[in-house]
Amino acid sequence: MKSSFRVVALFIYSCAFIVGGVLMGFEMLGSRYLFPYFGGGIGTWASLISTVLCALAIGYFAGSAIVAHYPSPRTIAVAILIAAAYLACVPVTADPVMEKILNGIGDGPSATLLAATALLLVPLSLLGTFSPIAVSILTRSAHEAGRVAGLVYGVSTIGNVVGTLLTTFLLIPTIGSRSITYIFAVVLACCAAVLFAPTARRLA
Amino acid sequence: MIIRSVIFGALAGALIGLTASFAQESRNLLESKESLYNNIYVYEQPPYVSMTFGHNRKIYTESVYNTRDDRDLPVAYTRFMTASLMYAKDVHSILEIGFGGGRTSWYLHKFLPNVSVTSVELDPTVVQLARKYFGIKEEPNFQVATRDGRLFLSESKERYDLILIDAYRGPFVPFHLLTKEFYQIVKDHLADGGVVAQNVEPSTMLFDAAIKTISVVFPQLDFYRADGNIVTVAYEGPERKPEDLASFARDRDKAYGLRYSLIEMLSERRRIQIDGGNVIDASAKVLTDDFAPVETLKNIERHNRKLP
Repeated sequence: MKSSFRVVALFIYSCAFIVGGVLMGFEMLGSRYLFPYFGGGIGTWASLISTVLCALAIGYFAGSAIVAHYPSPRTIAVAILIAAAYLACVPVTADPVMEKILNGIGDGPSATLLAATALLLVPLSLLGTFSPIAVSILTRSAHEAGRVAGLVYGVSTIGNVVGTLLTTFLLIPTIGSRSITYIFAVVLACCAAVLFAPTARRLA
Repeated sequence: MIIRSVIFGALAGALIGLTASFAQESRNLLESKESLYNNIYVYEQPPYVSMTFGHNRKIYTESVYNTRDDRDLPVAYTRFMTASLMYAKDVHSILEIGFGGGRTSWYLHKFLPNVSVTSVELDPTVVQLARKYFGIKEEPNFQVATRDGRLFLSESKERYDLILIDAYRGPFVPFHLLTKEFYQIVKDHLADGGVVAQNVEPSTMLFDAAIKTISVVFPQLDFYRADGNIVTVAYEGPERKPEDLASFARDRDKAYGLRYSLIEMLSERRRIQIDGGNVIDASAKVLTDDFAPVETLKNIERHNRKLP
């Protein structure tokens, strides 16, 4: 039991890192999807950043709401898998959606926000549920709660940093934004698969 | 608008340190403003006023205005932007993307007062300062729109005989104004026989990628060397014969009484083989909305490569 717990903890921390990386990587990609339609100004960045933070808030609240009922790696695996599916649809659907928004309501702040929302809100909210549920799975006694929460958030924030830098300085200069989106979808699907694995299921 | 004049180079070596201190003494800061998009400094060095954007401890000159003569174009490449006049089949309407201090568009407006000139500028503060210091006035047939250039074009139903592209923010061009998709939108807004002129900075690999990209959309591409910059003139259809261009140039020099003679500019015209790798790097990639690493390309110097 003890060793299988260690394995699951390792899975979850690794996923926290990767999910954190994809989350911020996708925010950077968001700029590449939005700029051609809404311009490359500070307004577009403000829309992207606020949407990401909004998604995280929704994810944290949603995670804390469901964690009592479904405190298992399965729950986060399902959330990650849906996010992966959403990302996989983005490359094909993004352009028509952006065009529709641009033609429908123009390019003002509300349009840019709506476009950022369409692109980011659903997948990033789903990824946002990760941390609260992960903390709950990894916490075995009340006095551990603070330590575990700190570790989970620390690891995922390092993932954020790595995701931002890797996407900006390595991926965007070498492969196209659409391919990067597919890679992110596959990476998330792999995380979900790991969390669905028998060891992970037995623990919870 | 940019001339890569590097002044205040705190990081620059002794070589330019000398010119920097010289320029600093004789220049007088009229106004500095932090806008939504830029840090803008307006300097006076009689009789000239210049608009510069600060970036990375360097100051990039965007526009220079001769206060004693509003039809003067002190910056070489801005003159060559007007070379496009001898290519267009008709000249009824002109669009400029990247207004800056508005020198090129104002020059065209002054010499072609019956032609509708529209300029698009992202930064409202730039337009405000141009009106304040650069002699830009409200006049019929001269409009300035404050919008993203690509957005303006994709929403516009107009067609233009001349489209001039000069959208720089300090040293950078926003990536969405350099892609195949962007040039396709530009092409869709050209009137029959219309042309596109663009100011391109040729010292980095971004130049090769930009030229490749333009040439994918426009089969014909001419080059004009102007101090440190290159002006490209792109158009559809078969190559214009030099004698046809010359006759257009002579007619229009006369018809508009242009100060910077088209026929003289024509002698600077160059054409190059884009494929083959002699001038343009054979491995340079076409920039698309999906793949446009402009910042990275901008950081790679063009070594041992000829200029067109």
